[in-house]
Amino acid sequence: MSDDSNEKKVHGLFAEYDSVDSLLAACRRVRDAGYTKTDAFAPFAVHGIDTALGIKPSKLPYIPLVAGLTGTGIAMLMQIWMNGINYPYIISGKPYVLSIPAFMPVAFEVTVLLASFGAFFGMWALNGLPRFSNPMFTDPRFDRATDDRFFLFIDAKDQRFDAEGVRQLFADTGSQYINTVVEDDTPKQIPRFLLIVWALLVGFSIIPALIVAKMRVTNSDKPRFHIFMDMDFSPARDAQQTTSLFADNRAMRPDVPGTVARGQLGDGLDYLTGINVDELSRMDSPRAEQLVRTFLKPQDDDEADAAGPPAAPSAEQAASADQTASVMDTTPWLKENPLEITADLLDKGQEQFNIYCAVCHGRNGKGNGLVNQRAQQILAQQWIPPASLHQDILQQDKYPDGKLFSTISNGIRKMPGYSGQIKTRDRWAIVAYVRALQQSRRASIDLIPADKREEITQLKTEIDKKLAEQAEAERKKQEEGEQQAAKS
Amino acid sequence: MSEHSTEAANPSDSAFKLPASLSKLALPLCACGLILLLLGWGLGNYHGGRYAMSVYLTSFIYCLTITLGCLYFVVIQHLCRAGWSVVVRRIAELIMVMIVPLAILFLPIMVTLWFGEGTLYHWDSSEYQAANHIDAEVWETKSRFLNAGWFFFRAVIYFSIWAGLASFYFRGSVRQDETGDKSITDQMQYWSGPAAMLLALSISFAAFDWVMSLAPMWFSTMFGVYLFAGSMLSAHCMITVVAFILQKNGAMRDEVTVEHYHDLAKYIFGFLLFWIYIAFSQYMLIWYGNIPEETEWIYRRQLGSFGVLGLILIFFHWMLPFLGTMSLYVRRRPTLVFGWAVYVLVLHYIDVFWLIMPETHSGTPGAVANAGGVIGVIASVLCVLGMLGLLAGVVLRVADQTKIAPAGDPRFRESLAFENI
Repeated sequence: MSDDSNEKKVHGLFAEYDSVDSLLAACRRVRDAGYTKTDAFAPFAVHGIDTALGIKPSKLPYIPLVAGLTGTGIAMLMQIWMNGINYPYIISGKPYVLSIPAFMPVAFEVTVLLASFGAFFGMWALNGLPRFSNPMFTDPRFDRATDDRFFLFIDAKDQRFDAEGVRQLFADTGSQYINTVVEDDTPKQIPRFLLIVWALLVGFSIIPALIVAKMRVTNSDKPRFHIFMDMDFSPARDAQQTTSLFADNRAMRPDVPGTVARGQLGDGLDYLTGINVDELSRMDSPRAEQLVRTFLKPQDDDEADAAGPPAAPSAEQAASADQTASVMDTTPWLKENPLEITADLLDKGQEQFNIYCAVCHGRNGKGNGLVNQRAQQILAQQWIPPASLHQDILQQDKYPDGKLFSTISNGIRKMPGYSGQIKTRDRWAIVAYVRALQQSRRASIDLIPADKREEITQLKTEIDKKLAEQAEAERKKQEEGEQQAAKS
Repeated sequence: MSEHSTEAANPSDSAFKLPASLSKLALPLCACGLILLLLGWGLGNYHGGRYAMSVYLTSFIYCLTITLGCLYFVVIQHLCRAGWSVVVRRIAELIMVMIVPLAILFLPIMVTLWFGEGTLYHWDSSEYQAANHIDAEVWETKSRFLNAGWFFFRAVIYFSIWAGLASFYFRGSVRQDETGDKSITDQMQYWSGPAAMLLALSISFAAFDWVMSLAPMWFSTMFGVYLFAGSMLSAHCMITVVAFILQKNGAMRDEVTVEHYHDLAKYIFGFLLFWIYIAFSQYMLIWYGNIPEETEWIYRRQLGSFGVLGLILIFFHWMLPFLGTMSLYVRRRPTLVFGWAVYVLVLHYIDVFWLIMPETHSGTPGAVANAGGVIGVIASVLCVLGMLGLLAGVVLRVADQTKIAPAGDPRFRESLAFENI
C-alpha cells in the first residue's frame, strides 16, 4: 500500500459510463452481484433506476400521512379546547365544542402544513440531508455527472466490498474509467470572510432594535407616526357613538324585534312577565295585546337591550299612584313560582339577593341595608326607606309571586327595575328566597322536626341572653360616652 | 420503456381496432338501453309524472357530467400538451361525442316545459309562487331569466358550444389517424385555451339552469363548480373503466400500461379531494351564513332518507375511496383501479340523485322529501342503466368506425413509453 492511500480513508469505488443503457446494465449486474450500499449518479432522472439498483420503494409516504393526520388531530383539539372549553364565546350563534364546519378549514390547512413539512423534512432525514459535500467531489471527472456522464458508486462499507473485486466487476461492465473515492482533505473550517459577513449582518440587525429602544425612552413633540392609519383609528364605530348610516343616528343597533336571549327560547310570556297572560287576555284583552306587542317589539329604545319584560304596569304607575294601585291589584299575577323550588334554587336566590337586594333591604330583609343606614346617618332628605320584606302586605297571600317578580323586574317607587341586570331565572330564584326569608320570621316551633326542637330552644335562649348582654354593654358604653362628653 | 421507445407504432395494428366481441354489442346495447330507459320512466310514473321526469333528469345529468368531463379532459390534455394521456385520449374523445345524442335526450325535458303540466321546473308555475308566498316583484325578476323561451335558447347555446368543440376535437383527432399531420395537433392546442374557458362557463351555467333552478329561489355561485368537480371525477373513472374493459377484450394490451392506470388513479384521487373541497366550501358558507333562503336547500337534503344519502356521500363518496386510492400499491394494480373507478361511478350517481330528487316534492308546502321507496329506486336504476346502455351502444358504433387510440398523434410514442417511477 502506498503512503497516499494510508493518509486518506477510502470511501468506495466508482465507475463512469457514457450512456443510460450502460449505466442501467451495470446497475443490474452490481445488484445481482449482491451489493446493497450502492448509488448511481446521472444528469437527469432515469426511469427504472430504482429496480435496477434494487432500491425498495421509499418509506417516505408514511411520514406525511402520519404528520398530516397529526395535524388534523392537533387542529381539531386546539379549536375544541379554545372555542369550546377554555374561552367559550358565541360566534354567529354556533355551538361551542362541535362547530365542525367552522373547524374544518383550519384542520385542513394544518393537515396540509404538517404533511408538507413531513414530506420535505422526512425526505431530508431519509437522505441524510443537509449534506454540503460528498467525497465523490474530490475527483474532477465527477463534475460531468451534471452534464453528460453517468456514474455508479459502491460504498466501502458494503459487506461484500473488496477493492479488487469491485474494480474487476466495474471493468466487466465496460466502464472506461474506474477510480477510488478518497476522503476529501480540503479545509473544513468556514471561510473567514463568511464569518465576517455573518458577524456584520448580526451587528446591523441590532440597529433597528436599538433605534426602537431609544425611541421608547425619548420624548418628542412631533405627532405619532401611524403606520396603519385604519388600524390605529378604526373606521368601525364604538359603543355609544353616532353614525349617519342609520336614520336614528345611533351606531349601536337595538336588538331585532323578537330576539330571544340564548337559552330562553322555550320561555313563555308568563314566565317572563310574572303575569298570567291567558287570564289577562280574558279580563283585559287590549292590555294583554299591548303586553305581547311591547314584549315582541321594544317600543322604547332604552328598554331595547333589557332582556326582561317591559314595564307594562309600572309605566302606568308613573302616571298616577291611585291608578297604579288599581292596575297592580287587578292584574292576574302568577300565584306561584313557576320554577321548581329546590335547595339549589334557594341558594341561587340567596346569592343574588345578597348581591342586588341586600344593600337596601338588608340581608335579613328588614329594610335596613347599608345604603339605608348611610342615608339615616347623613339625614338624607329625599330618602324613602326601603320596605321591610316582612310586612303583612308583602306576604304571599296578599302579594303573589308574580307581582313580586314584576316588582323586582320593573321596580317600584324609588326602586329601579332589575330586569337588565338579573337574569329571568335568577329573579324567580330571588322570589323563592324572599318567601323563605319571610317564612323564617313567622315560622312557629312546630315546623321544626321534633328531635331538633330542644336544640333550637336552647340556642334561642343562649342568643337572647347574649343579645341582652350586648344591649346592656352598649347602653353602658353610650352612657359613659355621654358623661365624658359632658365632662369635657 | 426501452422496449417501446424503439418500436414504431403501426397504424394498421389490430390493437387499435375495436374488438369484435364489443362491436357486435352495439345494437343490442342500444335496444336494451332504450327499453330500460322507457321502463324506468314508466315505473317512475307510479309516483307521478313529476317524479318520472325527475328520475329521467337524474339519469340525463349523470350521463351529461361524464360526457362533459371527457370533453374537458380532452381539452385539458391539449391545453397542457400532455404526452402521458395520448393512448387513453381516444376513449375520452369517443365518450365526448355523446353530447350529440344527449342533445336529443334533452328534448323530453324541453317538451314537458312546453306542453306539460307541473313540469320539473317550479319557476314555470305561478302556483308555486302563491303556495310559497313569494314576493311578486322578486318572482317577476326571477322570471326574466327563468322562462321557457330563454331557457330553451340557453340550452341551444350550451349544446352548440359542446357539440361544436366535441366535433372539432374528434374530427381533428380522427383525421390525424390517417395523415399523422402534426399541424392538426397545433391547431387543436391553439384553440384549447378559449375552449377551456367556454366550457367552464357553459357547464357552470348549464348547472344553474338545469339543476339549481329546480329550487328557483335558491342560489349558490359555487354550484356549477360542484357539478364540474363530480363531472371531472366521473370522467376519469369512466376512462379507466373503458380502458380496462377494452384490454380485457384484447385491445391495446401493450399500449395501455400500469403507468397509465397509475396516472388515472392519481387524478381520481385528486378529484375526489377536489369534489369534497367544493362540496364542503359550499356547505360551510351556507352553514355559517345561516340565512333561511340558503339553508332550506341543505335542510331539505337532511330530511329522511336524503339525510342518510348525504352522510353516505361524505363517508363513501369521499373518505373511503380517498383512503382507498391513496396507496401506490392500489394505483399500480389495474384491477383495483378499475374496481375503485366503478365504485366512484356508482357513488357519483348517488351524488346526482341527492342533488335532484329532493326537489321532486319541494313545491308543495308541508310535503316531506321522499326518495321514492323501492319502486322509486328501481325506476331510477332502470332509467340510468338504460341511458348508459343506450349511449354505450352509440359509443361502440362510433368506435367501430374509427380506431380506439389516436395512433397518428405526434406524442403517441411518448405516451407508450410513459413511466411514473
